[in-house]
Formats: sequence, structure tokens, C-alpha cells
Amino acid sequence: MPGGSADGGERLLELSGLSAGTDGRVLITGLDLCVREGEFVALLGPSGCGKTTLLRAVSGLIDPLEGAVRLRGEEAPGDHWPSFRRRVVLIQQTPVLLDRTVEENLRRPFDYDSAGEAGFPGDRAVSLLEVFGVDESRMSQNARSLSVGQQQRVCLVRALILQPEVLLLDEPTSALDPESVRSVEEVFVREARQRGMSALLVTHDRAQAERVCDRSVELQPYLTEEARIG
Amino acid sequence: MASPVQPMDLSWWQLAIAASLILISGAVSLALKLRMEKRLALASLRTIVQLGLVGYVLKWVFELDTLLALGPVFLLMIATATGAAIRRPERRYGGAARRAFFSLALTGLVITVTATRLIIGVDPWYAPSYFIPLLGMVLGNGMNGISLCLDHLLESFTLRRDVVEMELALGATSWESARGPVSSAVRRGMIPIINSMMVVGIVSLPGMMTGQILAGADPLRAVKYQIVIMFMIAAGTAMGSMLIAVLSYRALYNSRHQLVSDRIRSGKG
Repeated sequence: MPGGSADGGERLLELSGLSAGTDGRVLITGLDLCVREGEFVALLGPSGCGKTTLLRAVSGLIDPLEGAVRLRGEEAPGDHWPSFRRRVVLIQQTPVLLDRTVEENLRRPFDYDSAGEAGFPGDRAVSLLEVFGVDESRMSQNARSLSVGQQQRVCLVRALILQPEVLLLDEPTSALDPESVRSVEEVFVREARQRGMSALLVTHDRAQAERVCDRSVELQPYLTEEARIG
Repeated sequence: MASPVQPMDLSWWQLAIAASLILISGAVSLALKLRMEKRLALASLRTIVQLGLVGYVLKWVFELDTLLALGPVFLLMIATATGAAIRRPERRYGGAARRAFFSLALTGLVITVTATRLIIGVDPWYAPSYFIPLLGMVLGNGMNGISLCLDHLLESFTLRRDVVEMELALGATSWESARGPVSSAVRRGMIPIINSMMVVGIVSLPGMMTGQILAGADPLRAVKYQIVIMFMIAAGTAMGSMLIAVLSYRALYNSRHQLVSDRIRSGKG
């Protein structure tokens, strides 16, 4: 369905000659990729080809082995990584939540220094939770007591209310049951696009990439080829 | 009212009776094939040799009564406590021993000098006959606190790395992402001393107080000293745990607000 063409959009996130690896293994080498404003790009590849490692390198949780990551033409900043990560939010494959209530989990990123003046948008959080099928009454419940699927929805809402410029999505619907995948991805993509966000989605699900993204990039160890869907 | 018991010296015979209690335990171990007798014998032998040597060294240091004589004893005590504190945790990282040494040295110095100078009013403040026993009590508990704290912190950074990295990924600074593991590690380090303070005098009489009473001191006077000691130990354990937790957290992150978890090694080797 690609929800909107971003051909003309500004260059938002650029990876140049990016190499990344983990545990002493090089998994990605020399990747060049550009995500334009409002664009959704899928990174497709089999398990173990380095998709997750690549997203960790883009968000600066690990250092790339080579190459650079630029956001709006600027390289990721020296000691301003928290602010950078807030603009380029990573959503992990398995839901990770604090052992606290749903509300505290959603509120937490607004307590960080990098939040600046931004206050917790409680009403928006509640309405988004409801759009994702999580009842408001869950706000006071311990997040870890929710089902894994609901936890993943909370993680998606937590990312959306931060209003990042780019969403780094690591198989974000893998914790959902097959019936829910379509509805959650539809809601998520709609909400993200409405807010002008871009996304880099890693998945091995080619059909999902086609439904959600404007184009996809095939990732293979030591080799990447850019290919446009449809 | 009976006068307080006079300090009494123990004869070798009396020590031999105490040793016979260990022999009985060893015999029981042999009879029941618990295979504890060798360890018990070794532990007993070490107790005799170590305490015997310490007795002679302390006697010599107490007589010298100089800062110069205290220095090497202080360093030896800190180094030994550091070794014990670092050996126990399941995981470690390069530089942990250096940081534990610093934490114990600073804690030991601050707390013990406060006690000798401001509380007890010893002159000079480094009088070894006061300084060394007090330092020993602070270090004995401080090293346990540091050990538990470090173990818990490294476990959190290893087993709950996903939570720490989730916070980083949402814009947390290193400190904001480490605050949870650091606080829970400090709490862990403090548990034994808090528990002791809760039951002190009810479940058990502390060794120092028992020793004073056995040596003929007025129980109320012994209690006052014990309160000072308990507070010193608690403050020392808190300070040592906080120091090692903060220093370790700083060693495990880099300037790019990344948790460098591969700096943590498993195993006690």
C-alpha cells in the first residue's frame, strides 16, 4: 500500500558506507541508504544477516565499524546522542518495558533531560492506546502484566508520542498474533504518516514490507542491493 | 550492686578448651562422613596463625604509635579487603579492583577519621590502637557491601541490558539509564547492615560489644560504643556501595552514552 510517495522529500536520514557487526563479526559492509522525509523504507533480509545490528548502529547504541550516519545532513553529534536518539527512535523486536505501570512507562522518556520542555501528552497517549485497542483502564496496570501483544502496542504508542523524525522499527509486529498484525501495522503507519514521521523497517516479511513501505532494500551479508517495490 | 568484672587474661589451657570444641565438630564430621574435617582444620589453623600474627603486629604498631607505622597497615588492610570484595562477584570488569580499592580507602579513611577525631576525640587521631580496630570494622562490612553491590550491578547490566538500552534508545543519558540498576545495587549492598541494625541487641549481641562486656566494661558504656560502631558501619557501607556503583557505571559507559557491556566478563577467574 505504500501510503505516500516521498520521492521529492528532503534527505532526512543518510547512511554512507556503513559497516556494522557484533561479537567480532562483520555483518553489514558499505551500506549506502537514504530515507527521505515522510518515506518508509524496508530493509529485507534473512535472520542473522545483521538487520538488528544495523539499526543499533544507526541509533548509536553501538558504534558502526565504518561509515557515517547523518540526520538532515549532520553527523551524529559528539555528546548529544540522547537528543539524536530522541529524534531517531528505535523500537525493539521484543517489547521492553519497565516493571512499572503503563502510564509510568509512557511518561518516563519525558523525564529525561533530552525531553527539554516537552511535557507528557497524557490525553494523546490515552487516545492512541485506545486506537491500538488498549483500554484506558490499563494505564494504571503494571506494564509487564499485559500480554506480549499489548506490551508491544504500548511500545509503539510510547514511540509515537515522542514525535521522532525517524522510527527505526525492528520487526515491530513479531510479538503480535497473526490476526492482529494487519490492524496494528495499519494503525501505526497511519498515525506515523499523519505526524510526518519517516521509518526504517527491518523485517524478513516481504509482504509486510510491500504493505507498509514505499520501497525496500535487500540486505545480504557483505552485499546490499537497493530495489524498489512495485 | 556487683562491680563490673575485671578484664581477664585467658590462659593457653582455656584456649585449648575452646579448640576442643572444634575437635568435637571434626569428629562428628568424620563419623558422619561430612568431609568437612579438613576444611575445618585448615580454617582453625588459619584462625590461630592469622590472629596470632595480627596480635603481634598490632602490639608492635600500637607501641610505635606513629602515622608512619599506621600507613603500611592501612594499605595492607585496604588491599586485603579489596581482594575479598572483588573475588566474590560472579562477573567483573577491567579496573574493578582499582575502583574497589579507591572506594574502600576513601570510605575507610573518612569514616574512621570522623570517629577517632570527632566522635571519640582520640589524640592523635591516628592512634593505631583506636584507628586500626575501627577501620577493621568499617572495612569488614564495607567490603561485603561493595561485593554485593558490584555483583548486583554487573548482573543488572548483563541480564537487563535490554531495559538499559531501551532507555538509551528513547533519549536517556547514561546516568538516566543506569540510575535504576545503580540504586538497586546500592540497596542490595546495604541489605545486610540494615538487617543487622533492625535486630541488633534482640537476636544477637554484636561481637565488639560482647568482647567489651567480657573484658569487664560497663554494658551501658559498651552499648554507646556499639551504637557508634553500627552507625559507622552503616555509613561506611552506604558510602562504599555508592562509590563503587557510580565508579563502575562510569567505567561501563562511553562518552557516546553507550553501555559497553562487553567490558563485563563472566567468571571469577
